[in-house]
Amino acid sequence: MITVSLVYFVLISAAYLFLGRVNPQKCRQALRVGGHSLLKLIPLLLAVFALVGLFQEFLPPQLVTAWLGESNRFLALLLGTAAGAVAIGPPLAAYPLAGSLQSAGAWPPAVAAFIMSWVSVGIITLTIEAQTFGARFALIRNAISFVVAMLGGLLLGLLL
Amino acid sequence: MIRAILARHWLPVITCVLYLFAFAVAPQRAINALSSGGQLFASVLLLILSVFGLIGILQVWISRELIVRLLGREGGLKGLLIAALCGTLLIGPAYIIFPLLMSLKQQGARWAVIAIVLGVYAVKIQMIPVEVGFLGWQFSLARALITIALAIPTGLLIEALMERREL
Repeated sequence: MITVSLVYFVLISAAYLFLGRVNPQKCRQALRVGGHSLLKLIPLLLAVFALVGLFQEFLPPQLVTAWLGESNRFLALLLGTAAGAVAIGPPLAAYPLAGSLQSAGAWPPAVAAFIMSWVSVGIITLTIEAQTFGARFALIRNAISFVVAMLGGLLLGLLL
Repeated sequence: MIRAILARHWLPVITCVLYLFAFAVAPQRAINALSSGGQLFASVLLLILSVFGLIGILQVWISRELIVRLLGREGGLKGLLIAALCGTLLIGPAYIIFPLLMSLKQQGARWAVIAIVLGVYAVKIQMIPVEVGFLGWQFSLARALITIALAIPTGLLIEALMERREL
């Protein structure tokens, strides 16, 4: 984790130094845009990490393995996808939650399906989607994406 | 008002309620939970700062307007591939992305393009390091490849279903 962080941080800093020489004005704007997006997400990020802490302390790993573990693969896949479909938020928030599920013993395909449906299936945003694109598109897309998330999880199981 | 807060901040609200409950039942374990969450947050703080640095760069140099122009221009397989690429770069909440894509549709883009952008939305190039940090690189790489590979046939299927009744 630390190495990944450092490498990424050095790369981005180098990019900023380079871009700052090419176009200082746009570079400042980029910093502003990035900072602004971060500020808007801070409450959500704090909540996600606090929630992961709760998971680690209170969620018994036996429970996670029973519901999301390899022993009942179909149930695990279905529950993972369903949990992702009910929740909605930026992918950034899904990774820590998914990571804590996986280290508690969840089946990796179920974890992958959780991330995929977290982003691409949204029960809560269904109404906005239907208002924008029409109910037909929203229903077809969400239903198909739900199945595709399960399929994607299974494929991941084959690849790993 | 309350509904709006709940809809936008459901996760912080739920987390606070859970913590209140935890502190009432087992204060010591609640503190443990808070501190392990805090340690995790501290360990990825640098990564998160970098991600948002990249988000700023991409947003300024590859604006949403540019992406819309790219998406509207091509219709064939190339267009679908561009849609897959653009979807991995676009970020923003649903209430910004949906209207943006609808305006694209009204300018004549295919349903498949819209569905592909929403399909690959689960892969965020600028956030892959975060996923790697939490889930390992094999997992993240495999998931990204599978998501992109499935998005195109899924988009075409959704388009076919959409057009069946429109005919």
